[in-house]
Amino acid sequence: MTGIKTFGNNSEGMETMIRMQNVNLVYPTGTAALKDCSLEIAKGEFVFIVGSSGSGKSTLIKTLLGELAISSGRIEVAGKNLANMKRKELPYFRRRLGVVFQEFRLLDEMNVFENVALAQRVVGVSSREKRRKNSLAMLEMVGLAKKLKAYPNELSGGEQQRVAIARAMVNRPAILLADEPTGNLDPENSWEIMKLLQDVHELGTTVLVVSHNEDIVNKMQKRVITLHKGQITSDARQGGYLQ
Amino acid sequence: MSTLWYGLKQGLKSIIQNKIFSLAAIGTITACLFLLGVFYSLFTNFQHMVYNAESTVGIIVFFDENATDAQISSIGEQIKARKEVERVDYVSAEEAWKRFQSEILEDQKELVNVFGNDNPLAHSASYEVYLKDVTKQTETVSFIQGLSGVRKVNSAQDAATGFGSFNMLIGYVSISIIVLLILVSVFLIYSAVDMGINVRKDEIAIMKLIGATDLFVRLPFIVEGIAMGIVGAAIPLVILRLMYESVVSFIMAHFSALSGWLAFVSTAKVFGVLLPLCMGIGIGIGVLGSTMSVRKHLQV
Repeated sequence: MTGIKTFGNNSEGMETMIRMQNVNLVYPTGTAALKDCSLEIAKGEFVFIVGSSGSGKSTLIKTLLGELAISSGRIEVAGKNLANMKRKELPYFRRRLGVVFQEFRLLDEMNVFENVALAQRVVGVSSREKRRKNSLAMLEMVGLAKKLKAYPNELSGGEQQRVAIARAMVNRPAILLADEPTGNLDPENSWEIMKLLQDVHELGTTVLVVSHNEDIVNKMQKRVITLHKGQITSDARQGGYLQ
Repeated sequence: MSTLWYGLKQGLKSIIQNKIFSLAAIGTITACLFLLGVFYSLFTNFQHMVYNAESTVGIIVFFDENATDAQISSIGEQIKARKEVERVDYVSAEEAWKRFQSEILEDQKELVNVFGNDNPLAHSASYEVYLKDVTKQTETVSFIQGLSGVRKVNSAQDAATGFGSFNMLIGYVSISIIVLLILVSVFLIYSAVDMGINVRKDEIAIMKLIGATDLFVRLPFIVEGIAMGIVGAAIPLVILRLMYESVVSFIMAHFSALSGWLAFVSTAKVFGVLLPLCMGIGIGIGVLGSTMSVRKHLQV
């Protein structure tokens, strides 16, 4: 996680990792998915993005990943102004981020180890030994070192999400974006995943979690940004889920 | 190097994993290249036979009665020097009379004896000129007519024009059919690969989201396309080679009466062209089909 650019300090003197300024995103159909959104997330913060379905939470994550282009405003992530970024720069930018999805999105024909090692291969880690060492370390961290050869369909939902977190973290990204990581899990597994995200945060990673799980958000007592119909309606430093 | 190795391994692995799509794609290439091979073999042999027939169409050049041997020899040299001329044969007056006796008078002694020792074709020594390309006959005839010492030039203009036009027609028809087959192959391989890729579009999206470059995503599909192209070209080539040799042997054995007309091109010559042609087209179709299909899924 060294060598990552930030944008100077925010008002509290902390280095900024994500900055959105007056961001608007309007789909070609005319639907406004994000309206005049502005926020700053400091390096090493743990932030929940909450809101009802269709409030723009996942859209916000997609804009941060460069998957959706904004209509106006400015987004800077990990030292990169996304508006100026060329298409060929996008893969290299994404290597600074880790991403976890609600549906896990593992490759079914690859086993646990291969799924994690793939992320290393993608970023060009050419040494087989290094790929093996890093992937094993990460799988050990998520508690799946004994299931290296299992295929995704042989794992529980919680285990699959752990593999997804290992894959997201194996390249030691500066930011972890998690889009409803507990959306498909039972409460027990959901808590296991949240504990894991807390561990990742303690390693110094900036963590951004989209969730509509009130219980988790309220108990974690982290910063909570609320979206409603594409607009940021509240930003609480140590908040809970607003109704 | 690591990316290349990964692309190679994943591409070959994916052919096995997506057996049905791979077989469909290989089957498509095989069928199209088989048709192309059959058509090429027919075309090249037909052209060869037409060429042989063409070479029997000659131009006959008669000399002035007072033309000297040196003048006749110079006419021969000038004709031979032309690019379109295959060969020039000299037919003396005696030889011409002998041929007339056997071909026209059919060696009927009473008719031949009428002339006694006289040669009625005493002034009919000639050159028989055979061309490599009969379409050049008009041009050659007018050149010869302009030479000093030439009395008359006989040519089978209609036969020459007929062969030339027929050969050209065959050429156009072949090119059209080959182009059509290639287009059909590209479309079919595109559809087959596209179906395979649609099943794996989620895989492509995941790779893109974890930071894979377009090349990294594309490489296994390109390897897959190339491998399918090679297999799809090798199968019809093997079948065609076995078939070609059997068909030629069969015709030569059962239609020996036509052996004067049926001059087949050697297997080595036909496959000297078909092997690189089919391999090139097979690989080309594989690369083109897979590149086109992956392209639309890369916009993640």
